[in-house]
Amino acid sequence: MMDHKRITMMLAGIWAIVAVLPLFFGGTDFIMHILIMCLIWSVVASCWDLIMGFAGIFSFGQVAFFVIGSYTSAIVSARFGIPPVFAVFIAGGFTALVGILVGLPCLKLKGAYIALVTFAVHMILEPVLKGDIGQAIGTGGTRGLLSIDPMTLFGYTFTTASPIPYFYLFFLVAVACSVIILLVIRSHWGTAFLALKDSQEFATCLGVSAFKYKLMVFALTSFLTGMMGGFYAHYVGMLSTRMLGIDLFVTLMVILVIGGVGKFPGAIIGAFITIAINELLSPLGPYRPITMGALVVILVLVLPDGIVGLFEKLFSGSRRLSPKGH
Amino acid sequence: MIFEIADVIISGLINGSVYALMAVGLTLIYGVSKAFNFAYGSFYSLGGYIAFLLFGLSFINSYFLVFLLAAPILLLFGFFVEKALVAPLRKRDDWEIKVMMITLGLALLLDNAYQVIFGARMKSLPPFLGGAFEAGDFYLSHQDVGIFFLSIGGILLFRWFLNNTRTGMSVRAVAQNPAGAQIVGIPKEFVFAATFAISTVMVGMGGILLAQKYFITPMGGWDILVKAWVITAFGGMGSIRGGLYAAFIVGMLESFVGWYFGMTWTLIVLFAVLLTTLAVRPQGLMGKWG
Repeated sequence: MMDHKRITMMLAGIWAIVAVLPLFFGGTDFIMHILIMCLIWSVVASCWDLIMGFAGIFSFGQVAFFVIGSYTSAIVSARFGIPPVFAVFIAGGFTALVGILVGLPCLKLKGAYIALVTFAVHMILEPVLKGDIGQAIGTGGTRGLLSIDPMTLFGYTFTTASPIPYFYLFFLVAVACSVIILLVIRSHWGTAFLALKDSQEFATCLGVSAFKYKLMVFALTSFLTGMMGGFYAHYVGMLSTRMLGIDLFVTLMVILVIGGVGKFPGAIIGAFITIAINELLSPLGPYRPITMGALVVILVLVLPDGIVGLFEKLFSGSRRLSPKGH
Repeated sequence: MIFEIADVIISGLINGSVYALMAVGLTLIYGVSKAFNFAYGSFYSLGGYIAFLLFGLSFINSYFLVFLLAAPILLLFGFFVEKALVAPLRKRDDWEIKVMMITLGLALLLDNAYQVIFGARMKSLPPFLGGAFEAGDFYLSHQDVGIFFLSIGGILLFRWFLNNTRTGMSVRAVAQNPAGAQIVGIPKEFVFAATFAISTVMVGMGGILLAQKYFITPMGGWDILVKAWVITAFGGMGSIRGGLYAAFIVGMLESFVGWYFGMTWTLIVLFAVLLTTLAVRPQGLMGKWG
């Protein structure tokens, strides 16, 4: 377990570097778009890491929550004329509600069952969004949603034509989300999870309620993920169920594998590396997903603790007291 | 009306029998090694594609030969995957999640490899048997009957293997008590790889059987993965008998819901049933915790 001070330092370092990136790439819209995507996925992946790495819940519904949030925000802003700035929070709230509904039966189950139920949420989301129910709510069925209102703030409309303001909007949101996650890890929640992971029986005997903490973390991460989905929807301006394909799911997983599961700021580094690799591989066409798949397989075997784990091994291996520490 | 319902029941039975074969394979891996295979659906498609390739060879003209050749290929493939990808992770504390990740990566790799090699278009296999039993409005193809009996035969064969062969007995021993099995000299690592290989054969065979009725597509395995998974959890993870009952319940439920409400509802209803079952009985119909 890394100490909190080091996590904070790393996080500050990462965000300091990211903050000045537009100085170098600000002129190229294409690269700015990729950087914005990196920011979005860094939040989603960090949430997943919080659930899976810290809380030890095998949730595979992260992409589903993201899609639920994005559709909610788009529909709410289109149907009720709610400004996107508020719609994203409504989307977050709604996704958190869905998260709690999924979590309530799910968190009483054991590891692999949770994976099943959450992944099943992912799998049935596509027929629901495409089918009669979805069309009744206004998901646009198979066609998807094609014109979603852009984000406006204090009379200023963000457009993809000038990506730098958008970049800093996403930057602020991502920083805020990462600070929230950091606070969770540092708070007694983090300690409770550590205790639960080490020995659930013992921690429960000491009065740590596994269910309560797990449900809370489920609600929090689905809120953040859904909200990010809302931001994404208003940024790209169109949505379809293509997002539910296995590609995005595995991309997120690569982010976690590269960053290291349970090595918090790692997911953010992982997001930037993975999205960059993904873009670099795009000339490969149909061979790109194959390469991504192979990458997961190789990385899990070769780099099981991710980049952060590698750094830890390189720089502080000798100082560790126990030979097999976390 | 009465014939329609008979059709629905028959289709439920036939799908249920193939699901049973595949769910037993999935529950076997979980029961023995606690590993979770996300690439299970891709192995299903692999079975279909291997059969498709074999039928392309000039000397192959019967399903008997296809099964005879596909089984060892699938067995070796499963064994190799376990040894190369799953076994090295087993010594880690967090190996469960790592196994899920690596098999998910493998699934993406395989599915897209199929797409590149075979193209995105559906492939079909020749029917296993021609002809049908007909009586008035009643229609039952020989192929369906064949699929049903082959699946049941496969499950019985597997049962015989578990109860009567040395490897089968060591598989059961490891499932009951891994540490104890190791103490009495059962090669645990080999048993893990063997169960993975056997489950690959079972799902691959299921793929060959169902590919005649439906089609083989690169991404077609995901549906099967979720169904096999739902059945496994529904019946109780690690419980083979529970998986059998659950497979037929799911097969029936699916064909009745598909007939009455339309195909898009099947997954939704399955999920609702699963959630309700797990809420009332978290270990599934016949599962034990642990």
